[in-house]
Amino acid sequence: MVARVTSQTRMANSQLNLQSSAALLAKLQDTATRLKKITTPSDDPTGTADSMRVRAAQSQTAQFGRNVDDGLGWLSTVDATLSASTDILRQVRDLTVQGANDGALSPTAKEAIATALEGLRTDLLGKANTTYLGRTVFAGASDAGVAFRPDLSYTGTGASVTRRIDSNATVRVDADGAAAFGTGTGSAFALIDTIVADLRSGVNVGPNLGAIDSRLTALLNAQTAAGARQNQISAAKDAIVSKTGTLEAQRAGIEDVDVGEIVIKLKQQEVSYQAALAVTARTLQPTLMDFLR
Amino acid sequence: MSTFSGLNTAFTGLNAARQGLDVVGQNIANSSTKGYTRQRVSTAAAGSLAQIGPLVLSRAQVGQGVTVDGIARLGDVILDGRVRSSSATSGNLAVRSTALSGVEASLNEPGTTGISSQLQAFWSAWGDVSNRAGEETPAGVLLQKASQLAGQIAGGYTAVDSTWTDVRSKLEGMAAELNDAGTRVAALNGQIRETLATGGSANEMFDQRSALTSSIAALTGGTVRALPDGTVEVLVGGNALVSGDVFRSVTIIGSNSLVGVSGSPVALEWTNRPGQAVAVESGEIAGSLSMLAAANASGTGGAIAEAAAGYNRFATYLATTVNVAHQAGSTPSGATGLDFFAVSAIGPAALGLSVVPTSAAQIATGTPGAGGTDGSNADAIAQLGSAANSPDSVWSAFVTTVGTASKTARQQAVLADSVTAAATAAQLANSSVDLDEENVNMLTFQRAYQGAARVMSAVDEMLDTLINRTGLVGR
Repeated sequence: MVARVTSQTRMANSQLNLQSSAALLAKLQDTATRLKKITTPSDDPTGTADSMRVRAAQSQTAQFGRNVDDGLGWLSTVDATLSASTDILRQVRDLTVQGANDGALSPTAKEAIATALEGLRTDLLGKANTTYLGRTVFAGASDAGVAFRPDLSYTGTGASVTRRIDSNATVRVDADGAAAFGTGTGSAFALIDTIVADLRSGVNVGPNLGAIDSRLTALLNAQTAAGARQNQISAAKDAIVSKTGTLEAQRAGIEDVDVGEIVIKLKQQEVSYQAALAVTARTLQPTLMDFLR
Repeated sequence: MSTFSGLNTAFTGLNAARQGLDVVGQNIANSSTKGYTRQRVSTAAAGSLAQIGPLVLSRAQVGQGVTVDGIARLGDVILDGRVRSSSATSGNLAVRSTALSGVEASLNEPGTTGISSQLQAFWSAWGDVSNRAGEETPAGVLLQKASQLAGQIAGGYTAVDSTWTDVRSKLEGMAAELNDAGTRVAALNGQIRETLATGGSANEMFDQRSALTSSIAALTGGTVRALPDGTVEVLVGGNALVSGDVFRSVTIIGSNSLVGVSGSPVALEWTNRPGQAVAVESGEIAGSLSMLAAANASGTGGAIAEAAAGYNRFATYLATTVNVAHQAGSTPSGATGLDFFAVSAIGPAALGLSVVPTSAAQIATGTPGAGGTDGSNADAIAQLGSAANSPDSVWSAFVTTVGTASKTARQQAVLADSVTAAATAAQLANSSVDLDEENVNMLTFQRAYQGAARVMSAVDEMLDTLINRTGLVGR
């Protein structure tokens, strides 16, 4: 049986076809203006999950980037402070060598050296209590405000300051003040105090040179370790930059539409919609009435 | 056969042609009336009269013209039935799809405004707190992000809740529509029965009733059974909604809010029999009822309630996960065992989520004993976002579930719509008025009328010869 075709069925069919064509056009227009493949989860449930995962990774990587920048600030402060401290301790060593010439030096000259050493001790203690953004860089997680109290006791708790550079790794960004400067009577400051006292009391300060050298070595060790960590964190920074690019490319691949492709699709749909309109306008016009006299 | 019977035969022809033209007029007048079914005059040839007696001139007798038997309504019961059943299915699926896309829209995913991006900002804020443990600025940012996240979860829940309320109030409207349609079908049944009993034509009333039963079918999937007296019986779930001119009304019972639905489920029941639910299998009402159902343990309850339960589960899970990690840490002053999120015991968890700390001093940023500026616990919390079974993955799974359900419902609805469109097109193809066809019919009847009139004048002339000119030969 041939389906009966009436003016009403033709009208209904044309309406349905125009409607679906217009709906397709509207959808494409929407996509082309937003330039997003996925506007609701139902467009692509798996893609939505991927998109959320990639966005989470992006946000995490941005956080690691901030951590690394902060860590670099810490480590350069540590490095600069340690190298200044080494310079001070070298001056202390020079003055001690000078002060060890018992026969050539008058008590006045020794007193002058002792005063200079006292000034250097103050400098060194200042360096050891250096802060970065309000936190002491040689006292770990301590909140005491100084790394070494006036009585030369160390405030650190043993917990170090770390920064997370990726999901599995953290880097220590402070330096152990106790190891670098020593604590209490074994510290560099106590050593200078001893030398000053010896100079004033006329005791030969020559035997202290060995202790100064070992403190210098400790400082250098701390500086080397800080330098190595600075390298590590710089490498992490490069990795984060390249990862940021990769993640953005992934996100764009999941969420964004290809502009060329969508424009061509839109154009095609526009043409077919216009064709549908034109054809409908032509076929719906004539009836037998137009030809009856 | 009488002398004048030819005139009568021509008259029946005139009459039939005029009736035919009238029907064409009715068809053309209603060519765009919704639900109108085209009509045809049905005619039959009148047989000849029996011949008795000695004066029979010829045994061969011609018939007595044409009789108009009635005006047929060219509807098709099977096509009507197809439209009813397909619109029941598509109504059901359309309601489901609309409700699910409402739920889906509340997610705001994927993008920068959804809960996933709030979560990421939350974890990042913990990372910043870890770098500056004990300081007010990053702590302030963290607390603000945390309350934003809690607010967004509550907002999502509220959107789902209002979708539920929306569907619920539409359901009331559907029940009212069903009652109205049922009442009118019952009234029409009565009128049709009377009209047919007195031999009248009830075609237009059939059309009206057919439209009403279609809308009942779209609402409830109700089936229609025609009875010999011209009335129909409308059955919903095996019970008669309309039978003859009797209509049994229905009412919606049950909770008016999403929170109360588990205690008092929404159902459709017979007004005169409280407690007895109407077993609607299909149609918009069945779709709405299934959407409004309470959530259950296996996650197969009503989609809206399940989505709300999903928000609650997510809120509870987030609070538990963060609290466990937060309790393990210590504040700058050394206090341990503190909660970060609090979940109100009253009402839905998604609405009752709040942030406990109000300043940096109350945030457990460090490992106990490691010092006031230790940020290791904050770092551990920041890493929760990328851990296995993280709140992020719970949320992502929830979004994917809702998205998949919505996608499936949309595809089904589109498919059912095309089936309905095909059924409607088949029904229209059969029942709609075609102007070309009516024009041809009009010409036919016009010519038939002219022909009958010509026959009448021919008979008239014949009689004129017989009556006026007989016996005038040679005058």
